[in-house]
Amino acid sequence: MTTVQLFATCLVDSFYPQTGEAVVSILRRLGVDVEFARDQTCCGQPNFNAGLRASAHPMAEHTIRVLERLPKSLKTSEVCDIVIPSGSCAHMIKHGYIELFADDPAWLPRAQALASRVYELTEFLVDKLGVTDLGARWDGTVTYHPSCHTLRGMGIDRQPRALLANVRGATVVDLPHAEECCGFGGIFSVEHPELSAEWLNRKISNLEATQSPTLVVADSGCRLHIAGGLHRQKKPQKVVHIAEVLANQ
Amino acid sequence: MNSHQFRARIRKSLSNEALQAALDANAERRVTGRITAFASLPDWRERRQQARAVRAEVIERLEEYLERFIKNAAQNGMIVHRAANADEAIKIFLEITGVQRRFGAPLLIAKSKSMVSEEINLNHVLEAQGMRVVETDLGEYIVQLRGERPSHIITPAVHLRRHEVGQLFHEKLGVPYTDDIPTMTHTARKVLREVFLTADVGVSGVNFGIAETGGICIVTNEGNGRMVTTLPPVHIALMGMERLVRTLDELALMLSLLPRSATGQKLSAYTQIIQQPLPGQQRHILLLDNGRSRLRNSLLRESLYCIRCGACLNACPVFREIGGHAYESVYPGPIGSVISAGLFGSEFAPLAQASSLCGACKEACPVDIDLPKLLTRVRAGKIPANNDRLSASRGGAGLTPLSKFFLEIYSRLATHPRLFALSQKFAWLGTFLLSPFRAQVRLPAFTGWGYSKDLPRFARRTFRDYWEGSRLNAGKVRVADLQVGNEKHQPLFVNKSTRRTFDDGVEQFIEEWTRVGGRVIRTSKDKVTDKVVEFLQTKGIRHIHLEPNVLDEDVLQKAGIAISRERDSEIRVGVTRALCGLADTGSVLEADGEGGKLLASLLPELHLTILNVSEIYPSLQDALPLTRSTKSAVFITGPSRTGDIEMSHTIGVHGPGEVIVFLAV
Repeated sequence: MTTVQLFATCLVDSFYPQTGEAVVSILRRLGVDVEFARDQTCCGQPNFNAGLRASAHPMAEHTIRVLERLPKSLKTSEVCDIVIPSGSCAHMIKHGYIELFADDPAWLPRAQALASRVYELTEFLVDKLGVTDLGARWDGTVTYHPSCHTLRGMGIDRQPRALLANVRGATVVDLPHAEECCGFGGIFSVEHPELSAEWLNRKISNLEATQSPTLVVADSGCRLHIAGGLHRQKKPQKVVHIAEVLANQ
Repeated sequence: MNSHQFRARIRKSLSNEALQAALDANAERRVTGRITAFASLPDWRERRQQARAVRAEVIERLEEYLERFIKNAAQNGMIVHRAANADEAIKIFLEITGVQRRFGAPLLIAKSKSMVSEEINLNHVLEAQGMRVVETDLGEYIVQLRGERPSHIITPAVHLRRHEVGQLFHEKLGVPYTDDIPTMTHTARKVLREVFLTADVGVSGVNFGIAETGGICIVTNEGNGRMVTTLPPVHIALMGMERLVRTLDELALMLSLLPRSATGQKLSAYTQIIQQPLPGQQRHILLLDNGRSRLRNSLLRESLYCIRCGACLNACPVFREIGGHAYESVYPGPIGSVISAGLFGSEFAPLAQASSLCGACKEACPVDIDLPKLLTRVRAGKIPANNDRLSASRGGAGLTPLSKFFLEIYSRLATHPRLFALSQKFAWLGTFLLSPFRAQVRLPAFTGWGYSKDLPRFARRTFRDYWEGSRLNAGKVRVADLQVGNEKHQPLFVNKSTRRTFDDGVEQFIEEWTRVGGRVIRTSKDKVTDKVVEFLQTKGIRHIHLEPNVLDEDVLQKAGIAISRERDSEIRVGVTRALCGLADTGSVLEADGEGGKLLASLLPELHLTILNVSEIYPSLQDALPLTRSTKSAVFITGPSRTGDIEMSHTIGVHGPGEVIVFLAV
């Protein structure tokens, strides 16, 4: 029996608990035991990206401490993978922490050890478990937006596409200019709202061009942003996390 | 520029309809050109990492390689200067030009593209000294006439549409208004030809210095770079001190990436390798530090790997929206947001906040500079200050106080899990009270978020709340029961290259040369002169600039064709022999020599070159050693061209508009 630790991310925890539930359901169906440390919060990316490294530090330290604590079912010698339903947070923990603790001899080894255990959800399913067909069903057309940090930060693209390709009932169509940023960028969307709005509008018109009622993402940040834009513009399209599609039967 | 001013400039750019139209018009082409060009380089991923390693090594031991470069360049007869900062550079420049001062008329300086000259504000200073400075790159010429700065490091006038250029030429040059790009290009050709022929000093930038040979490489498309380095009695090359490679092989590697990244070409129209002054000419190389040593010793060191291709500007969604001027720095875009703060100081730090860290810049970078990481370093205040000390400035430069306050609070909450959970409840209650009937909250525009999107209410029951219950109803299936995928990663580009035979090389040369706009006339070795005469007669040409010992001159005389060996504005055709051809890029190599042969391939409208099939090399790397024995050599890849107005490809700017290879079998 494989056991993984789930890092749910603060956006899933606060806004999209259904994504977290879907992740748990998928993993359990695959015979993977999921552990969730209740005291996890935010990985610190918002502060790190904004340049506020002093306040990102304690957030990262907290996250490392929480994720270093092995589930009780495991022996101390065992290694437990960490699954994160967000390429962005995975990117932060895997790569950002190395940068954040680069000249901290106490924390750097701990950050490196943690980095080696981190998997984005679809990466874990496809590359680690070798599964591309989850027996999922989703009726209708969908299109996939590859989030920047998932695509370019983590280099993950074929995994979510392979998983979607095996969803029964779903017709997957290409999103034009899919690789373009939706304009979220964390605090960027608040700091530079005009720029953010331009990209959001472009993303929405590209989505409309597909005539797909559903946009699938693997990152809750993009979901928050695009769904917020769609709602503001009174558009009917919905944004869902890929975990919710894969959990649907 | 503080962050408030920067935000104002962003808003101004977004509401500038003409600018938006100009940027939108070629936004896609700026990216697709590069991607298509890389498709012809099957091993580009390896090359990119090799190029990065080369740049890293050069920057690591920069002083050592600089010394080697300077020693070799001096041995070649170049006069090398080092300037610590802009003031010193200007002083050296004025000392060089001071000797050239002429009476009665202002000194005329013809410039080809140089970002370093922008960095030290050269034009302004020289003009204040009473000199006449003329930018000769079409895009630079346009922005100079408008009294502006370039808005892009490769395509300086990318912010303008053709009718604006037409209007500008009409007003400033007194020509009838037109929005026909070839006509405007021709106007610039005529005006600037006079400048090239009469300039006292030619100024150019440098793409690469080569440490092992002491030579410099300059890459251009229009031919102005060749003009200013060939015609005036003095040539001053301005070079950022970090722009070195060690060997010609490394140069070949860089040149397989630079033009593809910059303009989507396999090789630019003119790739010059300059090693020595021409007879009667003085050549100076001015190496500029201006903060680079400090940058090298800072956490932004990686930014010195940059080869100034501009690909990150083209890939950047911010640049796409606001263009280059909004950055108010010589260097805009992602790399500009790093090096402006790195070279010029913390007042440029707010530029780095205008990025979603989407990583499109890193992906486009031919030397894989981790620009998102460097941007976060600038944001964190990790920049070298102007006073030689690592800046002690606090992080978050350019953030609004509200964002800063929110993030500091958020950090406190995130490190106290119970408080965090409690705040989620308050956040739910808050958003519920703001929007009791709808799941999305409409926030006011001043919050930033509310400017263009709604916010979902916080979840009443967080994932944390769900967790305990979900443990109980877990249905379990074994992994082995499910179909296991065997997807393999598909490479984006398939390596099609196989070993090529000699004949393949000839065919490939013809194909590539034709593709870049050149023409091929096949002939046999003993029929070359006859074939050229036949060609000239059908065109009615009776006077050519001919390199010695290339054609049977008795035959030419009998055919009534006069021969010149010197520059003559009336001559429309130049005839030379190419040292070699390159199969993979469709290029021919020409070099200096007797009878003004370098000019024969540059000044006339039509250039004929004789190439033996046995002189066709597979690629640039194989042919670069031939340049060692030349003073000044140039790989010519098709006719002179420009894309400076609306990125519309236009043939025949300063160099020949037509080039024909007489391929002798």
